[in-house]
Amino acid sequence: MTNIATWARVKSPWVLHFNSGACNGCDIEIVALLTPKYDVERFGIKLEPSPRHADVLLTTGCVTQQCAERLKRIYEQMPQPKFVVAIGACACSGGVFAGNYNVVGGVDKVIPVNAYIPGCPPRPEAIIDGVVKLLNSLQPPKPAKKEEKKDVKQ
Amino acid sequence: MIDYLWLIFRVLVFPGFTFLLFFTMFCDWIERKVEARMQNRMGPSFTGPRGLFQPLADFIKLLTKEEITPTESKKNFFRFAPILALSVLVFALCFLPIDGTSVIPNVSFGGDLIFVMALVSVANFMLFLAGWSSANPYSSIGAARVLTQFLGYDIPLLMLALAPAFLAGSLTLATIVSSQWVPFAVLAPWAFVLFIITMQAELEKDPFDVPHAESEVVAGHETEYSGGKLAFLKLARDVQIVFGASLITVLFLGGANGPVFFGFPEFWGTLWFVLKVLVIIVISEYITVLFARLRIDQVVKANWRIVLPLSVLSLILTISLAVWIYPLV
Ligand code: SF4
Repeated sequence: MTNIATWARVKSPWVLHFNSGACNGCDIEIVALLTPKYDVERFGIKLEPSPRHADVLLTTGCVTQQCAERLKRIYEQMPQPKFVVAIGACACSGGVFAGNYNVVGGVDKVIPVNAYIPGCPPRPEAIIDGVVKLLNSLQPPKPAKKEEKKDVKQ
Repeated sequence: MIDYLWLIFRVLVFPGFTFLLFFTMFCDWIERKVEARMQNRMGPSFTGPRGLFQPLADFIKLLTKEEITPTESKKNFFRFAPILALSVLVFALCFLPIDGTSVIPNVSFGGDLIFVMALVSVANFMLFLAGWSSANPYSSIGAARVLTQFLGYDIPLLMLALAPAFLAGSLTLATIVSSQWVPFAVLAPWAFVLFIITMQAELEKDPFDVPHAESEVVAGHETEYSGGKLAFLKLARDVQIVFGASLITVLFLGGANGPVFFGFPEFWGTLWFVLKVLVIIVISEYITVLFARLRIDQVVKANWRIVLPLSVLSLILTISLAVWIYPLV
């Protein structure tokens, strides 16, 4: 039974995209993922409009003071099991905006992050690679909150 | 005893629930593939052979997810609306002659066409209830749009469905199918084309998909749903699409009629039925991909100013042909 559930989970990760203060560079790369060239629907990845439907939260950009609360609420609205992927240098650590007066920092300052994908912006291939690594880490089921910080150091 | 077992087999396995479930998922896969190919993408490819199991994976995944019921929602409606929508639609499908006879044998009666159309309205109303009970502004807007749209488009849909009834001289689905030695799509092409367009609106597909326009109302009536309830809501939507295509097949393409080569006539009947439904689904998906979304006011205007008068005209034309011209041929 768990095998079937894991199979289904790995084969159909529906994503929600949230921009907590990105410069839009990373967002364009996510759009590139969904459009014909990289078409991630091949792997069953679908962009969902509502956080209630999503399994994976793709966050881009550093978290601003204003956005921190909203990001937390979006995260809390998602049903378990849920995963967070931080896309871009900003989302991983705050990037060039770290230490700014209106910036909290990376996404992991606010919500638990499962996979970090560095780059400014990361290439679509890198994002796919990150998501695939995240999904592979599911194969022997792990608790959702377990963090995977492998990719942070460049 | 054997009779009852046979009945249970027909309802639960073939051509009843199980067959319909897998057929619906297959249709969903076809839709996603056609849409992807039209947009120069590949579509689901790696879940099973050519991505065939993608809808199944989606369904199972949703079933295993946490279910959230918002505190402010009307709990009972919120819980039961998706299941009711699904079961009403499957019940309506049971009246369609899928393999030559309806799923429950000898259930057809005079006027079951009207009954089936009424069941679809009930199913649409369940979708409205699903949105309205979830106490979310986006869901409410989506639900109101569902209601506006299906109330408006039900009228021309029923009028157009009367065209084959007049041509066959009966309101019974079985008689309508059996009197189509020439498909009614050939005898009354105007009604056929209009029916497909109206069905597009009834199924909330592009260019009429305002009730769940992502850029305006998040996911419409589905916004607050998660887990198993969302799975059933999505399944209900897919069953609705299969139902629409099956209804078009029954009314205009001659249902399970077709050449029988050898072996069981049921097998060939089902084969022809499934093929015709697939053709309709591909056509409808083509329309979906080709057109952009209308605004809600344009959808309502298109209904009352264009589709309704046209369907009245089509009904007049069909009746006069059925009464004066076709008997001469
Ligand atoms: S990582 Fe680079 S591209 Fe992405 S949001 Fe930050 S500055 Fe923009």
